[in-house]
Amino acid sequence: MRRLLAAHAALVYLFLYLPIAVLVVFSFNAGRQTAVWEGFTLDWYRRLAEDDRLLGSVRNSLLVAGTTTLIATVLGTLAALALTRQAFRGRRSTEITLFLPIILPEVILGAALLTFFGAVGLRLSIWTVVIAHVMFCVSYVAFVVRARLSGLDPSLLEAARDLGAGPFEAFRRVTLPLILPGVAASALLVFTLSIDDYVVTSFVAGVGATTLPLHIYSMLKVGVTPEVNAVSTLLLAGTMVLITLAHRLLGVSDRRENP
Amino acid sequence: MKQLAWVLLALILTACAGEEKAGEKKLNIYIWTNYLPDDVLADFERRTGIDATVDTYDSNEIVLEKLQSGMADYDIVVPSDYMLRILVAEKLLLPLDRARLKGFGNLDPRFLGQEFDPGNQHSIPYLWGTTGLSYDKAKAGAPLDSWNAVFDERFKGRILMLDDPREAFGVALKLMGRSINETDPAVLRQAAERLKAQKRLVRTYNSSDFANLLAAGDVDVSHGWNGELAEVVAKDPRRFAYVVPKEGSTLWIDSLALPAKARNVDEAYAFLDFVLEPEVAARIVNGVHYAGANRAALDRVAPEIRNDPAIYPPKEVLDRCELIKDLGETTQLIDELWTEIKAQ
Repeated sequence: MRRLLAAHAALVYLFLYLPIAVLVVFSFNAGRQTAVWEGFTLDWYRRLAEDDRLLGSVRNSLLVAGTTTLIATVLGTLAALALTRQAFRGRRSTEITLFLPIILPEVILGAALLTFFGAVGLRLSIWTVVIAHVMFCVSYVAFVVRARLSGLDPSLLEAARDLGAGPFEAFRRVTLPLILPGVAASALLVFTLSIDDYVVTSFVAGVGATTLPLHIYSMLKVGVTPEVNAVSTLLLAGTMVLITLAHRLLGVSDRRENP
Repeated sequence: MKQLAWVLLALILTACAGEEKAGEKKLNIYIWTNYLPDDVLADFERRTGIDATVDTYDSNEIVLEKLQSGMADYDIVVPSDYMLRILVAEKLLLPLDRARLKGFGNLDPRFLGQEFDPGNQHSIPYLWGTTGLSYDKAKAGAPLDSWNAVFDERFKGRILMLDDPREAFGVALKLMGRSINETDPAVLRQAAERLKAQKRLVRTYNSSDFANLLAAGDVDVSHGWNGELAEVVAKDPRRFAYVVPKEGSTLWIDSLALPAKARNVDEAYAFLDFVLEPEVAARIVNGVHYAGANRAALDRVAPEIRNDPAIYPPKEVLDRCELIKDLGETTQLIDELWTEIKAQ
C-alpha cells in the first residue's frame, strides 16, 4: 500500500514538474524551434542579456509585482482586521464586495477598470497597472489573513490589553506576530498573481508598461523563441530562492509560536 | 489606519501624475512584436533627438480597446486591415496630411487605396503577408501548389489546419473558385461540408504552434501564416517549402496610423517620414523578414529575402489573394458552421 502511495505521489510530482523541466531543458536548446532538441547552448541566455526590450519587460513586471505586493498586503491585512475585529454597519456587504474581484472574470474586471480610468481621466501608465493589480490582489490577502485571524484565540489579545498594552502595542506584539505567516503567505501569493497576470494588464497597461506576460504573448505572432524559456528559467530560480527564504522565515516563526 | 490607506492611495495618484516630463520630444509607439528592429529605432532617435518608447501588443482588439478608452498616450499604432477599417469608422484615427509625408510616393500602389482605408486618408501600409501551405518535401514527393493537398488522402492524419474559421473557410472557398469573403449561405454550407469531410484527415487545428509542429515532424502539411513558416523553411530549405496555392489565398496588410488623440503629432510625422525612406524601409524588411509595402526600397532588400517566394510571392499569385473583409451578419453563420465542424 505504502509503495503504491509513493508511486502515486511520484506520478503527481511528474505531472506537476515535467512541463517545467521541459521548459528549463529547452532554454539550453541550440535550435530556434521549441519542439526539437538540437544540442546544448547558452546562446539564449546571451541573447537575453542583450535583449533590452525583453529585459525592460522583466523590469516592469518586477516593479509592478513588488509595488503591488507591498500595497495589497498592507491594505488587505488591514481589511481583514477590520472585518474580524470591528462590528460596523454594512460589514456583511463589505465582506461580499471585497471578495467579488476573486469571482469576477478577469476580462470584465479589465474592461471595467479601463472604463473607470477613462471616466476619472487617469492616463494609462505603469501605475494604472499597479492600481488594477492592487485592486484584485487585496481580496486574496484579506481572504488568507482573515482565515488566520479567525483561528486566533481572542483571549490572547484580551490578556495583552489586560496587562496594560495599548491597542497598537497589542497589535504589534501579539496579533501581528501571530498572523505573520498568513501575511507572508498572502504576499507571496499576490506577487505570483501580479507577475503573471495577462488579461487585466493587457487592458490597463499604458506607455512604457509592457510587462513580461504582455511581451511573451506579443511574441506569438512571430513565434516564441527559447529566450522566453531562458527568462522563465531565471524567474523560476529567483522565485525558488524567495520561497525557500520565506519558508525558512515562516518555519522559524511557527516554531516560536508552538514551542 | 484608515488614514494610512488614504495616504497610500494619494501616493499612488501623485506617482501617476508625476510621470510626465515637459520639454522633451517624445514618441510613443504601439506595435506588434518584431516589427521594428532596435537599430532602426536607435537611428531614428539619434537623428531626430526624439525619445521613443515602444510597447508591443498581440491582438488588434487590444488596440481598439486602448484607443476607445481615450486614456492611452500612443502616437503611432499598427493595426491590421480589418481593424483599421473599424478604427476609421469609430473616428479613432487622425486624418493624415499628405503634404507632410515626403516619402509617400515610395509606396507600392498595389497596397494603396484598399477597401479598409480608401484614399489612404488615415494610414500608410507598412508590412504585409499571406496565408499559405508549408510541407515536408520528401513526404510530398512532387512540389505542392494547390489547396487540394490538405484534402489529399495521402496525408491522412498528417495535416494541420489553422484554428481560425475565416482562414479554414477561405481554403474551401478558394478551391470552389469563390471569394474568401463569400456571403451566400448556400455556398458557405457547401464549403462547410467540404471541411467536415476533411476533418478525418486533419491531425490538429492549431493557430499558435503550427510552425513548430511542422518542424518537429508531427505533421507533413501545414496551413499557416507566412512569417513563421518562412522561418522554418529558411532554416532547412532542403526539407521544407512554403507556397501560396495557385487558387489564391488570404492577404493581410498592417498599416501605420496616428490615433486621434495622439499628443506628439509632429514627432509621429517625423517617424512616418523616416520609415518611408527607402533605405530605412529596406533595413526594416531585412530585420523583420516580412514583406514591406515600400516599392522604392525593394532593390535595397537583401536578395535572399526579395527572392523568397514565401515572403514576396510572385505577382500572379498575389493577384489571386484577397484581404479578409468584415462580413457583418454572415460572420455568425460562419461561426456556427465552424462550431459544427469542430464538434462533429
